[in-house]
Amino acid sequence: MSGGENVRVYGSVAVGDRIELQKGLLTEAHLMRWSAAMENWHKIHYDHPFTVEHERLPGLLISGSLKQQFIVQLLRGWAGKSGWLVSASFQFRAMNVVGEELTAWAEVTELRREADYGLVTLDLGIRNNSDKESTPGRGVVALPYSAGQPVSRPFPSR
Amino acid sequence: MALLNDEILKFVGLQSPEVEAPHPVEASEVRRYAQATMDDDPHYMEGQGADRPIAPLLFPTHMFRTPFGSPDVLTERAGDPDFDGGVALSSRGLPDLPTRNLVRLNGGMRVDFYDHARHGERVCMRSRYASITEKEGGKGPLMIVVIDTDYYTSDQRPLLRVQNTGIYR
Repeated sequence: MSGGENVRVYGSVAVGDRIELQKGLLTEAHLMRWSAAMENWHKIHYDHPFTVEHERLPGLLISGSLKQQFIVQLLRGWAGKSGWLVSASFQFRAMNVVGEELTAWAEVTELRREADYGLVTLDLGIRNNSDKESTPGRGVVALPYSAGQPVSRPFPSR
Repeated sequence: MALLNDEILKFVGLQSPEVEAPHPVEASEVRRYAQATMDDDPHYMEGQGADRPIAPLLFPTHMFRTPFGSPDVLTERAGDPDFDGGVALSSRGLPDLPTRNLVRLNGGMRVDFYDHARHGERVCMRSRYASITEKEGGKGPLMIVVIDTDYYTSDQRPLLRVQNTGIYR
């Protein structure tokens, strides 16, 4: 399996298709839960006085490592159980702080047929509830030509 | 070249030793990870035999924790008001570049995915300086350092490659 239970095939996708994954309001508790799961003790994710007074940041920062999870979740879920998320790249261009609502998004920009599967390129990013983009990037998903032929793995390395 | 020199260029191609994560992929760790990322895919917990449960795609990158018996940096620096809490492994096992007073900025990352790790598997990693180049930025010269880190199972099945770009100025 790859992601989700849906089956998506190459022929069902068109340039301009757009997808989103809303993660909703992110609180101090969400940041603490992620920091604890990762054993990441950087104070900028849970110590408000240190973050604001010592580091001069606007608030507790939502970890870049958490934001990248949202992008991967979005693309993996969209690829479905027969497709495969080939790659994702992104830049952390702006900070997101606790109290924001984040939405990962992606839009199909290019389609290319390969011998055994089709490759779908998507622009992607993360926007907050003020519509500010923080994490622009690009993803590539491999999709099968028919539902009965899942993309094989391990996917060939470059 | 204003920033690059022969001393730095010797690092291109330099590879770290292989490092094995201190623990295999464990169900409890996967559960906490999936809950913290709000990703409730049942495949993270269900399955048997060859289809035993998988770990989230990026999970291997977070398996390289502080080994048991390591110095407790949080306690050692508890009275240091400037301590930022960072205790992560530096440079992924690679020696630091002799960049002297240059400031490093995060230039982004790319991840290539090959396969899921599965519960019970052991995961290894190895990094290398893939390229070091220089270009002219708007405020002066920039040194672009690309580090590739490969993650794979102990039986050499590739899982993912993470490419981190650092910008020094």
